Amino acid sequence: MLAATTPVTTSSVLIHFLFVPILLMVLSFLLLAGCSHPGSDKTLTIAVNAGVEGSALKAAAAEWGQQHNTRIEVVELPYANLFEKESLDLQSRTGAYDVIMLDDPWFPKLVADGGLAQIPRPPDADFLPSCLAVCRHAEKFYALPYVGNSQLFFYRKDLFEKYKLGMPDRWEKVRDAAKTIGAGEKMFGYVMRAAPGNSAVTDFMPLLWAFGGDIFDAQGKPNLASPEAIDALRLMVELGKSSPPGYAGFNAAEVSAQLLQGTAAMSINWPAWIAAMDDPSKSKVPGMIEFAPMPAARVPGVAELGAWLLAVPVSSPHRDAAFDFIYWATEAAPMTEAALRGNPPTRRSVFQSSDLVKKFRAFPAQLASLAGARPRPRTAQWNEIENAFGVSLSQANSGALSPEAAMQQANREIAAILERSK
Amino acid sequence: MTRRIPGLPWVAPALLVLAALSLYPLLYLIKVSLTGAHGFTFDHYIRLFHDRLFVVAAAQTLLYAAVALTLEFFLGLALALLVDSLARGRALIRVSLLAPMLLPPVVAAVIWRLIYNPEFGALNGLLRQLGFHTASLTWTSGRSTALLSVILVDVWEWTPFLFLLLTAGLQAIPAEPLEAARVDGASYWQTLRDVILPEMKPAIMLALLLRSMDLLRIFDQIFLLTQGGPGSATETVSLYIYRTAFRFSNFGYAAAMSFVGLVITMLAARGLMRLIRVS
Repeated sequence: MLAATTPVTTSSVLIHFLFVPILLMVLSFLLLAGCSHPGSDKTLTIAVNAGVEGSALKAAAAEWGQQHNTRIEVVELPYANLFEKESLDLQSRTGAYDVIMLDDPWFPKLVADGGLAQIPRPPDADFLPSCLAVCRHAEKFYALPYVGNSQLFFYRKDLFEKYKLGMPDRWEKVRDAAKTIGAGEKMFGYVMRAAPGNSAVTDFMPLLWAFGGDIFDAQGKPNLASPEAIDALRLMVELGKSSPPGYAGFNAAEVSAQLLQGTAAMSINWPAWIAAMDDPSKSKVPGMIEFAPMPAARVPGVAELGAWLLAVPVSSPHRDAAFDFIYWATEAAPMTEAALRGNPPTRRSVFQSSDLVKKFRAFPAQLASLAGARPRPRTAQWNEIENAFGVSLSQANSGALSPEAAMQQANREIAAILERSK
Repeated sequence: MTRRIPGLPWVAPALLVLAALSLYPLLYLIKVSLTGAHGFTFDHYIRLFHDRLFVVAAAQTLLYAAVALTLEFFLGLALALLVDSLARGRALIRVSLLAPMLLPPVVAAVIWRLIYNPEFGALNGLLRQLGFHTASLTWTSGRSTALLSVILVDVWEWTPFLFLLLTAGLQAIPAEPLEAARVDGASYWQTLRDVILPEMKPAIMLALLLRSMDLLRIFDQIFLLTQGGPGSATETVSLYIYRTAFRFSNFGYAAAMSFVGLVITMLAARGLMRLIRVS
């Protein structure tokens, strides 16, 4: 009907139908583009982890922004999403972030992709060497250490005294103490996180190192089928018998909840939870939990390092200001402020500050742990390796695989990952 | 051209939008899946057949979809028939039954995490009160119960969707065949088997089609409830694709898995659509 009264051509219809939508789209893009860079010369965009580490950095950034008349935009992301956002930004060089906060195992991947800018001045000697080591690639620095996380061994001092168990300085003693306390107190002697991936691997690494094992041998080949690694996993599974049901799906929150509720007596944990353990509004057993270095087995115990770093992407549109900010944020005074907000420092002088030591009773233990802490293997394939390894560990802890089979499976899969990456 | 296909100018804008939003990303996906570190390659597709985790994830996705779809369909159908037979309060009951579906998946997952907690959760608490021994009931953390636990959450959340579609199909049945069956003295079961279900066939097929496509790409509930664990007991293809792309930064392999998943979903959908046409 319409065709009979009005001559219609394809082009006229296309113009008719497309003109308005295209105009609207162009206007929307212009509007969005305008919104995303208001006063771009004075805006520093920072990607931070949602949590205590990120909160302290947010506060520091606000202070620095006021001092330097710079607008600060903080993009706060949960741990699970932070890496993917940063990785995508760095790979596609979008320049979305001027400063990024990154967990140290992500560093090799991000620096290998060429996404991180080299630090203009080398860091000073007050930083702990273990923290600086994870900021270096090919003898050059691409990040500064901001949060000095390393694992500590949390245990119920009152129960250890009650049963005259001594110090939990060896894993065999931990295993026996878990049984004794579990039977005597009708509670769980031990609690660990064994959910697949990062959780299971994080709780297993101190055991593996204490038994003299490691993920890779001196030639860089997977070494998890070694007797040391299998024995370490056997002990982990044995400790699991003293752990709450369902621990094979536990993450950090569940482990800490068990300690805070007073339903478990020991665990490996991160310093971020220390404040909660002493807080009567959060803990049913305030002040009863003590913090110690990692227990030993065949060799002295070693904690895993979990430092948070600050870096500047090469695509940052405000690189100079971004470097000014990360140098400032990692100076002693702002780091002391961050420590008061719950962030473990990375500078020896801040750890040894008498005011802070009075306030944080675990600081000497944290410093000892951090000074000797070991990082996860420095490989760009770490996320994939950790996933494969974590699945095998979780399978052993849930009873789906024996320790031998789990370690052999992990070894095979890590070898395949390394082969594919060549 | 306009004479041979007179509607073309009118559908052209929609076709262009479709091409921009669907066809281009699909072609790009295929291109990425065929690109390796050294250019064109089939390696990503070859790896699919040797990748233990992918095979496990694919098998579990199919099992998850089959069990959840079966339970959701029969429960949804039973509820639709039951509510339809009520003389009063049908509207109120329908709205109440839809509540789980209206919750964001994140909220539903958090609720069920709390319910499934082996020590403090409501489920084991209830079972303990009934006299059951719950020490070994770890639900989402148990290797034999984890998959079933996440399937039950899916059934709880998405049975209302099947109920809604099947209720619509039930209400679209003309009154005459039902009256004829009653006049002929047919029992309820005879009426259900010979009149109601055949008349509902298009609605049933549509419901199964939509739900099965959704189930084959299940991600959010599993990500929030178990993260694929314990071990790989609840790993699904979507979860594995997510990890491969965004955690391992291996977009080529993730694209190959996505394309294979798309082909499987399209084949399943085509089979169901053919059944609809036959019906």
